[in-house]
Amino acid sequence: MSDTMNIDDYLASGGVLTSPDNVPARYRGELMRLMSSFVDSELAASAGFAASINFAPGIRERIAASRITLEKADHAERVLNVMGAFGTDIARYQSQHDWAARLARDADLGTARREGDMRLSVFHYPINSWTDAVVMNVLMGLATDVQMTELTRISYGPLAEVFREIAPREAAHAELGLEGLKAILETENGRRDAEEALAYWMPRVAATFGVSGSGRHETLARFGLRHSTNATLLARWQALLADWLAPLGLARAAT
Amino acid sequence: MARFHSLDVIDVRRETRDAVVVTLKPRAEDAEAFDFTQGQYLTFRRDFEGEELRRSYSICAGKDEGCLKVGIKRVPGGAFSTWANENLAPGDTLEAMPPMGRFHVPLDSAAERHYLGFAGGSGITPLLSIIKTTLAREPKSRFTLVYANRQISSIMFREELEDLKNLYLNRLSVLHILDAEAQEIDLFTGQIDADKMTGLFTHWIDAKSVDTAFICGPEPMMLTIAASLRDHGLTDAQIKFELFASSQPGRTARKIETVKAACESAGVQATVTLDGATRTFTMPRQGQSLLEAALAAHMDAPYSCKAGVCSTCRAKVLEGETEMAVNHALEDYEVRAGYVLSCQCYPLSDRVVVSYDA
Repeated sequence: MSDTMNIDDYLASGGVLTSPDNVPARYRGELMRLMSSFVDSELAASAGFAASINFAPGIRERIAASRITLEKADHAERVLNVMGAFGTDIARYQSQHDWAARLARDADLGTARREGDMRLSVFHYPINSWTDAVVMNVLMGLATDVQMTELTRISYGPLAEVFREIAPREAAHAELGLEGLKAILETENGRRDAEEALAYWMPRVAATFGVSGSGRHETLARFGLRHSTNATLLARWQALLADWLAPLGLARAAT
Repeated sequence: MARFHSLDVIDVRRETRDAVVVTLKPRAEDAEAFDFTQGQYLTFRRDFEGEELRRSYSICAGKDEGCLKVGIKRVPGGAFSTWANENLAPGDTLEAMPPMGRFHVPLDSAAERHYLGFAGGSGITPLLSIIKTTLAREPKSRFTLVYANRQISSIMFREELEDLKNLYLNRLSVLHILDAEAQEIDLFTGQIDADKMTGLFTHWIDAKSVDTAFICGPEPMMLTIAASLRDHGLTDAQIKFELFASSQPGRTARKIETVKAACESAGVQATVTLDGATRTFTMPRQGQSLLEAALAAHMDAPYSCKAGVCSTCRAKVLEGETEMAVNHALEDYEVRAGYVLSCQCYPLSDRVVVSYDA
């Protein structure tokens, strides 16, 4: 009972770590990178969505976009606070980058991150209309839903708890997106624009799942920081997307 | 970044042969910062022969006791716990960071919940805080504690738990599991394993009635109990963990290689260990950080901000001398122990040996 065990074996057996004090060095590096990617993506998402508030066609949509902008920044802050316990200078971190900066709409980034911050590549593309914002939010919202099935059982307990708090609110963002999309699809022009936006965002959101057969997966899995492979998560997202879009007559656009 | 504050030691009480309970009082201006949540811990620092040691200990006081108490059990070879057990006395001061940790759930005075706690040895400290606070502030809730120890004499807070049982007659039950001492009921003798857990759930605890389970103890116990809780229908969100201090990495003396005056010759020989694999390569004397050099040598070194802010790229210099351009993330004691932010780290000696695994 009082015997201890090797921390690597503990993690490989599904163990949970609970404070920066009991985190091994390499685990720490991977955990920090993962948190950093989440924080940067949420901050970039919030900053990108802020501009979409002014694309909103009505008050309800304006409120929805404002809420998403607010809550994504709040989620970034919650995870950044966990990073702070590891020594991250929180105040400097958040002012480190221009989170609203975007590249050209036709830039080809694939899955690569850009020099500078760790946001997912999809958050480097600019949003150019209300329909564009809504479609991007639906696709990315569902992708986040899928990623949350991994993040909420991550082996660093304090972070898993933050993700469990965040998950339902992120799911609500996708729901808001779906509502917005239904309204857009009521007109012919709206449907055409939505299909166009889907074609643009589908491959870019798909790329957020990373490359299939990533060499890093094994390390992350051994640490209990990942459970499913990129390919499995991507397939889950595609299935979820089909479930959501088929009833809207968008199944074809989503393939 | 969290700062250290001085706490006055009010009382040091011997709890068992190898554990003390220390009562602490923050200065008036720090009272708010030390307003803890049940189940949190304090991180102390103290200088031992020129080297700063930091150790975390859980608060064992309840929210309504009006004081701050920690339990410190002596671990063999542990400098801090030995010092606290042998030398700490009222009138001393201790340096501590404000309370941290998320080993708690929000309380609701109207709630009618059943909590289940598992403590191994000194893992009782945060649970004691949780039990006292919860039973006082949720008058309709009850708590079942399963408490594992080697023998009766090593049970921390045995009397206090008895008093609590008398105070909360129908709301607190305590099941003692003793490894090295036979008891009337076989189930309560030996180590907690999967069979014993199933036995507990069959005869003593209704898993379906449990709202939240808390586990604090050594690694194997945490794994066994968590697996069994899941088998008996609890979700991850219902299981709260606190891994206790045994896993804190030990300290290693830093080997320092005296630096020869750096000749301005070609490159620096860098030896970098990552994920157990070590590679040696030559890097330019100037203009490239250790992180960039490692990445250029196709090593998958961790990094994020590359600005000395986030500490993702932290590594340890084992040999040679380096300097950091910017450091916003490491504290002085980490720097003294040889840690660097590799994104900001440049070699000064002809040879450097660095590890991301240390």
